[in-house]
Amino acid sequence: MTERITQGMLATNLLADLQNITDQMSTSQEQLSSGKQILKPSDDPFGTARALAFRDDLASNQQYQTNINNATGWMNATDSALQSIEQLTQRARELVVQGATDTTGADGRTAIAQEIDQIIDSIKTTANTQYAGRYIFAGSMTTTAPYTTGGADSYNGDTATLNTEIGAGVQVPMNVTGASVVGDGSTPGSLLATLRTIENDLNSGNTSALQTTDLQALDTANDAVTNAQATVGARSDRLSTALTRLQSIQESTTSLLSDTEDADVSQVMVNLSQEQTVYQAALKAGADIVQPSLMDFLQ
Amino acid sequence: MGISTFLGLETTLRGLLAQQQEIDVTGHNIANADTPGYSRETANLVASTPQPVVPSGLLGTGVTVQGYQRVRDNFIDIQLRAQTMKKGYAEAQQNGLNQVEMSLNEPSDTGLSSLLSSYWAAWQNVTNAPEDLASRQALAQSAASLANGFNSLASQFQTVVSQTQQQQTLTVSQINSIGTQIAQLNGAIASAESTGQQPNDLLDQRDLLIDQLSELGNTAVSQTAGTAGQYGSLDITVGGATLVTGTTASSLTLASMTSLTSGQLAGMQSVIDSIQDPTTGYLTKLNQLAGTIASATNTQHALGTDLNGNAGGAFFDVTAGNEAATLAVDPAILASPALIAASGNGQVGDASNATAIADLQQQTLLGGATIDTAYSQLVTQIGADSQEAQQNLSNQTSLVDALSNQRQSVSGVSLDEEMSNLLQYQRGYQASARALTAMDQLIDQLVNRTGTVGL
Repeated sequence: MTERITQGMLATNLLADLQNITDQMSTSQEQLSSGKQILKPSDDPFGTARALAFRDDLASNQQYQTNINNATGWMNATDSALQSIEQLTQRARELVVQGATDTTGADGRTAIAQEIDQIIDSIKTTANTQYAGRYIFAGSMTTTAPYTTGGADSYNGDTATLNTEIGAGVQVPMNVTGASVVGDGSTPGSLLATLRTIENDLNSGNTSALQTTDLQALDTANDAVTNAQATVGARSDRLSTALTRLQSIQESTTSLLSDTEDADVSQVMVNLSQEQTVYQAALKAGADIVQPSLMDFLQ
Repeated sequence: MGISTFLGLETTLRGLLAQQQEIDVTGHNIANADTPGYSRETANLVASTPQPVVPSGLLGTGVTVQGYQRVRDNFIDIQLRAQTMKKGYAEAQQNGLNQVEMSLNEPSDTGLSSLLSSYWAAWQNVTNAPEDLASRQALAQSAASLANGFNSLASQFQTVVSQTQQQQTLTVSQINSIGTQIAQLNGAIASAESTGQQPNDLLDQRDLLIDQLSELGNTAVSQTAGTAGQYGSLDITVGGATLVTGTTASSLTLASMTSLTSGQLAGMQSVIDSIQDPTTGYLTKLNQLAGTIASATNTQHALGTDLNGNAGGAFFDVTAGNEAATLAVDPAILASPALIAASGNGQVGDASNATAIADLQQQTLLGGATIDTAYSQLVTQIGADSQEAQQNLSNQTSLVDALSNQRQSVSGVSLDEEMSNLLQYQRGYQASARALTAMDQLIDQLVNRTGTVGL
């Protein structure tokens, strides 16, 4: 028996088909206007999980870049402070050599001693350098000036290491403490203690000490400064390498995220125009099929 | 035995009346072409009782209308109702899960996942300037936004549950109202049948009500015990509970339907369960997430020192058992961000404790998953469940559409068919009238012209 087709069936089927194609057009249009192919998790549950993971990665990545930029600023400030200290130490060395010669008289040595005193103050001022309101040589006591200019040579910070995170669980130390570079006036062999000894030797005219032990001690103390410079340089390199790596990861993750959740506009446009064609055809066919009945032809 | 002179008149009259009734049935069909649940009817014509003629045999006496029959295939009804129940289930489930999914607002830049990212980043920013109150203020705000995100998601889940429960209540009263109507129809059908009539239109109405009932809950139909006859009255159970026995309708409650397996009611229940299930429910998992964030942050926070040199106090406040809805940043922290214990060694410049809290992002705190991953898994699960419900709905819709087409193909009114029938019956009527005229002329011949020789 052939299937009977009633007018009701024709109308119901036509309506269902039209609704179906309208639904598809609405999805395409939503994709076009939002630019996304995943509008809600059920559109692609697995893709949604990927998109969330990529977004998470991107957010962490950007934060690590912020951390690195902050640490780089800190290290640049450290580096230029260390350079100043290094230059001041070189100047002190020249003065020691000058003061150690017997041709320089007692007056000359007193004058040199005064300049050394100035250098000590300059070094302390430099060691009190701040970056974004934080004392960079004070260890973790970043709100306390590590040295008192024109006062005692004591170090007022601590020896704590400040780290910055440049990757998941990867921490890079970013500070060098004043104690390890300039030292404390009460610690023999530290830069400040050595310079104080030199000043005293100059004042007392102890040229033999100036020629031998003082000069050696100053060179040794200067090594601490150059070592710190080397350390800071190496860390800066590490940071800039990490930054480059993070930037390239950011680029690839962004592109993966886009592949996952962004709509392929040209593809969607093609789909939409196909759907429109089908919709119009369905309307036309519907109008032709539903309208006539046997009544149109009976007398 | 001879034949009555007027037998022919009787025979043609029966023909005329039968054709007229056929035309009436056709008119009834056309009038109900768009009536939901209507089954087309046909008049059952049989040749009327013949008259014995000696010695020739039996002489036909025309036609009789034996009854009006609705054209319906009960087997399609059974199949259609079974699939309608499943469609109702999928429909309710898809509806509820769609709401759940919409409340997630993922993937986007404003969903909970981006609030989580901002929260972790805010801790990192504190490590870049732990002495700075501005970065601490930003952290407190970011944590408050995260807490609000959890609160609002939990309340939206709750809203879906309470709305679904309201719908269930409405659906149950709809079921009860249908039950009352079916019980009344049972009575009307039984009394019509007892007088030998076929109550076609009442049967259609009852079938339509059973169709509607099938969409709401799993419905079983059986013949009422003790009713003989072709249709009789029907007993209905919904969700395992008796709704109609003969002419008596019971008032059901959600609790009395103990074995709801399909239909909208069961679909709604599945939505409620998938949110509230104590181990796998979405809300349960959201509570676990909020609870873990609060406890992990608080534990690590207590190990640090704040800007005033004191040990860290509570960072998040949370009520056990209802974590997502109650998660909040401790008011003391919000009032004074200096109380955020960022320092590990007690000095203001140290931020090792803030780093340790930021690093909680990478720790597998939730059964092998990090907090971010666990959230992403929850989103994926909801997405997959919703996708499955959509596919079920689309499958069931096609099945139900195909079956109702099949039913329409059997029972639906085809106007073309009715028109051609109408032609046929009209011609039949005309022919019967012509035969009547012939009879009339014969009798005229006999009565008026016979035996008038010479007049």
